[in-house]
Amino acid sequence: MAESTAQSVRPRRALQPLDITLRHGKRYQRARVAFLTFSVSLTFVLPLWHLRAAVMDGAGPPLTSPAVGLARLLPAPPAWWGAPTSLRLWAVELIDPALALGVGLTRGFSFSWLWAALPGLLLVATLGRFFCGWACPYLPILAASNAARWFLGRFGVPTADLKVPRRTAFVVLVGALFATAFTGAQVVPLLYPPALLGRAGFGFVFFGALSAGLALVVGAFVFDTFVSRAGFCRALCPGGAAFSVVGALSPLRVVREVPKCTDCTVCDVVCNLGQRPMTDKLDGGCERCGKCIASCPTQALSLRLAKPSALRGALEKP
Amino acid sequence: MNRRGMIAALAAALALGLVPKRSRAASKKLRPPGALPPGAFEQACIGCYRCAEVCPTTCIEFPTGLSLDAATPFIDTAQKACVLCMKCTQVCPTDALQKLSDDREEVFRSVRLGRPVLERSRCLPWTGQGVCRLCFLVCPYPNRAVEVVGPQLAPLFHADACVGCGLCEEACPDGASAITIEPLGTPVPAARKP
Repeated sequence: MAESTAQSVRPRRALQPLDITLRHGKRYQRARVAFLTFSVSLTFVLPLWHLRAAVMDGAGPPLTSPAVGLARLLPAPPAWWGAPTSLRLWAVELIDPALALGVGLTRGFSFSWLWAALPGLLLVATLGRFFCGWACPYLPILAASNAARWFLGRFGVPTADLKVPRRTAFVVLVGALFATAFTGAQVVPLLYPPALLGRAGFGFVFFGALSAGLALVVGAFVFDTFVSRAGFCRALCPGGAAFSVVGALSPLRVVREVPKCTDCTVCDVVCNLGQRPMTDKLDGGCERCGKCIASCPTQALSLRLAKPSALRGALEKP
Repeated sequence: MNRRGMIAALAAALALGLVPKRSRAASKKLRPPGALPPGAFEQACIGCYRCAEVCPTTCIEFPTGLSLDAATPFIDTAQKACVLCMKCTQVCPTDALQKLSDDREEVFRSVRLGRPVLERSRCLPWTGQGVCRLCFLVCPYPNRAVEVVGPQLAPLFHADACVGCGLCEEACPDGASAITIEPLGTPVPAARKP
């Protein structure tokens, strides 16, 4: 008797993304995961590759260090340098447009960084925040956080899902840029997980040192797990805010075919970033991860060139 | 984009454009060669780690603590000296390190990482403990940045002709450690005649 009362009192577990199987669009997901694996592994493999070059030159850590042992197993690196906030692929220089903003603010306009930021800017203008869903090295940590939420939910441990307003991320971005202007040091690379993880990867491989910046990444994981699902990406990350402004009018977006839709809300549950495809509330915050497309049981969602009329909802607050 | 978001974004951009740009983060650290003057360097560097990545001696490091300069590179010549290969200046994507060739004379004209300071009371020849002249032997600009004088071949540094690479500091025997490369704290001198 007492048991049944306890059961009825216990709140029903909220539906978690891991509860929902991906049915369609699996090729898109495979492509995304493959690209993500490639770009995230660059964060750790490129330091190892170039450690190998340094060791061949007779420098770097002692030959007995495990990183050197691993580096010596690798083949000679291709002509790639950097990762993840600045890459040189053969002769093409690339820098993260989110970091170019701060440099442009303090140092003024310059063609040297504009050319390097341009490919990224064009991609963001076309595809919105797609870097967040396709290349960010924080994504594996976010996946771990979502899995942790799922497990905690299974064992009845409550996890909050605070809906921090999206505009907080714009406040963080503009605040970081103001701090950059006032202090004269670039502040966005101190708060932006790809920059933090990139430096941490190099620092660990080259010097065996753990940087204090990792504390912010750990904090983001704890926040995402216990306070707000994907809350850091959705409502705090300055890079995500910059991309969602630049990509607010991107033409390639998720579109719902109304006759096929059965209003089942699965797409709304599966979205990490609080987008609501079921009611066509998709704005600059969409990372084009395609999980809503894959989860839709009636294939009502697809990624396509949207008509200008569909752009009107961009940047609307959820 | 709705009207309110548009107005907020434009207002933020306008405010950021009008706010005065300061360069207070100038740090008292040795920066890699070709670095912009202190202050300007911190404004331009995005901490991408590529200078440290190409450095063949891994002398370029990043701070590991929590600080405003956590994303800017520095050289600790006491740990490892710069060999003046100028590779780091070639890779900087934001030109925080200005491109320089590894030509000996161009490096001599344009690179000033720091200023050599000799503590004579610890230097072996100056204290009459014997002939050492290791600093003179490793110096890439012998007889210009450092010359040896007297019967003990004691070093005499000429700060205005020293690029500050720190090879002498690295070479100075552990028991003595008489040489330190101190930050300039002033802008890198403009190109000068040798």
